[in-house]
Amino acid sequence: MSTTAVPTRRPSPSPLPARLDGHPLAGFRSLFRFMLRRDRIRFFGWTLGLTLLLAYFANVLQVVFPTAEDLQAFAAFSANPAAALLMGPGFGSEAITLERFLVGTYGMYLIIGASLMNILTVTRHTRVEEQSGRAELVRANVVGRYAPLTAALAVAVLMDLVVAILMGGMLAGMGFDAGGSIVFGASVGAAGLAFAGIAATCVQLTEFSRTAAGIAGAVLGGGFLLRGLGDMSAAQGGGLDWISWLTPIGWSQQAAPYVHDRWWPLAISVACFVVCAGLGYALSARRDLAAGLVAARRGSAYAPSWLSSPFALAFRLQRASLVGWSLSLFAAGLAYGGFTQAMIDGFADAPPELLVLFGGEENLLTGYLGLMGLMFAMFTTVFAILAMQSLRSEEFDGRTEPVLATAVSRPAWLGSWTAVTALGVVWLLFAAGLGEAIGAAASTGEGELFNDVLLGHVAHAPAVWTTLAMAALLYAVTPRLVPLAWAVFGYAFLIGFFGPMLDVPDAVVQASPYEHIGEYPSEDLSVTAMLVLTAIAAGITAAALAGFRHRDLVTA
Amino acid sequence: MTNAKQGTAVPAIQISGLRKRYGSVTALDGLDLRVEQGEVHGFLGPNGAGKSTTIRILLGLLRADGGEARVLGADPWASAVGLHRRLAYVPGDVELWPNLTGGEAIDLLGRLRGGINRARRDELCDRFDLDPRKKGRTYSKGNRQKVALIAALASDVELLLLDEPTAGLDPLMEAVFQSCIREATAAGRTVLLSSHILAQVEVLADRISIIRKGSVVESGSLRELRHLTRTSVSVMTEHPADAITSLPGVHEAHHDGEQLTFDVDGEAMPVVMRELASLGVTGLTATPPTLEQLLLRHYGDELAAGVGNGNGNGSKAPAGVAR
Ligand SMILES: Nc1ncnc2c1ncn2[C@@H]1O[C@H](COP(=O)(O)OP(=O)(O)OP(=O)(O)O)[C@@H](O)[C@H]1O
Ligand SMILES: [Mg+2]
Repeated sequence: MSTTAVPTRRPSPSPLPARLDGHPLAGFRSLFRFMLRRDRIRFFGWTLGLTLLLAYFANVLQVVFPTAEDLQAFAAFSANPAAALLMGPGFGSEAITLERFLVGTYGMYLIIGASLMNILTVTRHTRVEEQSGRAELVRANVVGRYAPLTAALAVAVLMDLVVAILMGGMLAGMGFDAGGSIVFGASVGAAGLAFAGIAATCVQLTEFSRTAAGIAGAVLGGGFLLRGLGDMSAAQGGGLDWISWLTPIGWSQQAAPYVHDRWWPLAISVACFVVCAGLGYALSARRDLAAGLVAARRGSAYAPSWLSSPFALAFRLQRASLVGWSLSLFAAGLAYGGFTQAMIDGFADAPPELLVLFGGEENLLTGYLGLMGLMFAMFTTVFAILAMQSLRSEEFDGRTEPVLATAVSRPAWLGSWTAVTALGVVWLLFAAGLGEAIGAAASTGEGELFNDVLLGHVAHAPAVWTTLAMAALLYAVTPRLVPLAWAVFGYAFLIGFFGPMLDVPDAVVQASPYEHIGEYPSEDLSVTAMLVLTAIAAGITAAALAGFRHRDLVTA
Repeated sequence: MTNAKQGTAVPAIQISGLRKRYGSVTALDGLDLRVEQGEVHGFLGPNGAGKSTTIRILLGLLRADGGEARVLGADPWASAVGLHRRLAYVPGDVELWPNLTGGEAIDLLGRLRGGINRARRDELCDRFDLDPRKKGRTYSKGNRQKVALIAALASDVELLLLDEPTAGLDPLMEAVFQSCIREATAAGRTVLLSSHILAQVEVLADRISIIRKGSVVESGSLRELRHLTRTSVSVMTEHPADAITSLPGVHEAHHDGEQLTFDVDGEAMPVVMRELASLGVTGLTATPPTLEQLLLRHYGDELAAGVGNGNGNGSKAPAGVAR
């Protein structure tokens, strides 16, 4: 057993007899069965969970809009730029029906859910396994080079099929048009399929499962923003509607269930799956097991002198993510800011009901910019929760133990990490706000918008901090429960974007930390709310720091 | 390597009746351990015996469910930070930050502990033949281990807690490690060394504790432990030696041509030797038990009767301790 430096582990020489050796799919069947067995709970959690979510939305709508007239009042809503950004192109709003409204309003979130399901499933069975070294054990057996990726994709495809059938069947079972129901189910599955392929490529690019999932997630998030621009343009008859066609979410939405029932856009998703998966296979043939495509460079033999405190370490470990997020949010801010003038023009003859979301007609411009501030606060919240999940991975992967075995106290470590993330939140809101401010000022020619827009974005920081603090508390007490922070996010998202038009009770709205500061510049900023939320966030963080003293570190 | 300071100062580590459960698994079940200042204490036991759990409690990373642990006189859970300035830890399975180089990780861990001796760090990198410019994710298992070892050995601390520190090191590096530990003890440091490499423990350790199923079943210097077991003797005598076989403490005697072979309990040795002398010894070999034989006796589920020297010490038999 030599232990001299071996830069990358090579696949173990296969001990197979010649006739099996070399078959790249050898062992596929047993791997596939094994993955399904490992995923028996996850599989149904995702597929049934998404279907039940759809059922829930359908029920809510039936309760909120018991008659066709109730619905009619909202019909116009589906065809304006703001709704287009948050929901999609809104096909068939001229003759609205419950099922059209259902898939037009909530369809995109199910599509996003299915996409995440595929990204996580494919990385889980490929890169996560390689990174942990378990893949090496597997590959040393009668398992061909392509078998693990193929089995992982097979699991993902099976999940997509099940989702499509369950959703289509359930909608048809509720009495909606069978053809449209099947198209909708298929559109959700197709987006998932596309992301299974995209993830298959992403896992080849880097050695780290989280980076791979991050890249695929960035493709998804970027797609969300792009098709938002395209759909907004379409809603006001602009010429940029083709942008929606650049993204898997767009292809699924263009199937227009219950309206056009088009199948062919879904064929693009399938083609995307085939091409991306093929690319994944091709790339995987060019690299060693557990290695990425880009070989690691050598670095410095000594740590820079600033790298000498837990705060510095927390910053060093979050730096790459912060850089990526800064660039993305700045670019997204620019794009949405640059859309401001087109947005205003599109509202020229919008019906009053839909202006509720923007605080009325007179506030169109500021309303749009204020809403953008909230949207970027939501995106920044995603960053904050992911940062807490990374801290959890640090611990679960055994890298926190050596830190806490030095003279770093637990509160210092958790506090440093949280502080870096909290400052990162402000920085990211600033980056997004800067992009938005530049874009808005340039597109409208109103330079005085600049400061207002920037302030309107950064002002959301205390709300994001509150969610961050809750995630930190979950980490400190039971790290397994950190993902619960997504519930806070989901709640705030629904309330923030769907609350105003659905007449949600005041108390329910007030429960969201994002509803107090105000969407500046359309609403006044509440300094009190900012101070109170900051105090709440600080209080929860203090509880987290104290709580972290009391539990065992998670050890291998 | 006897210990001059023994008994004069607070023990470096003192554990009594330590208990720890993970859900329904009992990891430590009334563990007692005492490590004097300045000694190298070998910590041996089969997989899952509780060695790593003990060390993590000593680091304040895990909280004990019962019993008491003192490190350098302080409670490791309550005064973790203060203690960590005075000790260094090497885990058995080192995980490094994928994007930091080995050198950065060494400096960082040293600084977080309160300072690192730069000259010593460079010297150690040299001796362990570590390239500190590589990224953490590109190190092999042995090289990751070296990073943690260098970070620990380059610090001026009183106590080293080493949990299988050389797992994955090649024999050359093992030798470097052993000389580093000797230098550490020469400098007055205390070492708790958990290890499965018996040759290493045999060479380095002043005292040894053997842990099994969460409690210590044997503790003492290698000499003392040997004394508790049997020595194999084979002898040729002028006069028939049959009388020997009926002496207390003599076991499994049998004739092998002209030779008589038997096992003797440690405490029966003087009597047996006196008796043999009177019979006119013409040839004699006596083999003390190896550490391996000692351990196998404790590791197996049953008393490993078939293994080398049997058990001469019923009261300390692990069967009485194991639950
Ligand atoms: N985090 C954990 N959760 C549950 N059980 C654990 C955990 N860590 C250790 N155990 C159990 O506690 C017991 C003691 O484990 P420990 O790691 O201390 O053993 P060890 O002596 O270090 O073994 P090895 O020689 O294999 O390193 C084992 O039964 C192990 O399975
Ligand atoms: Mg261990």
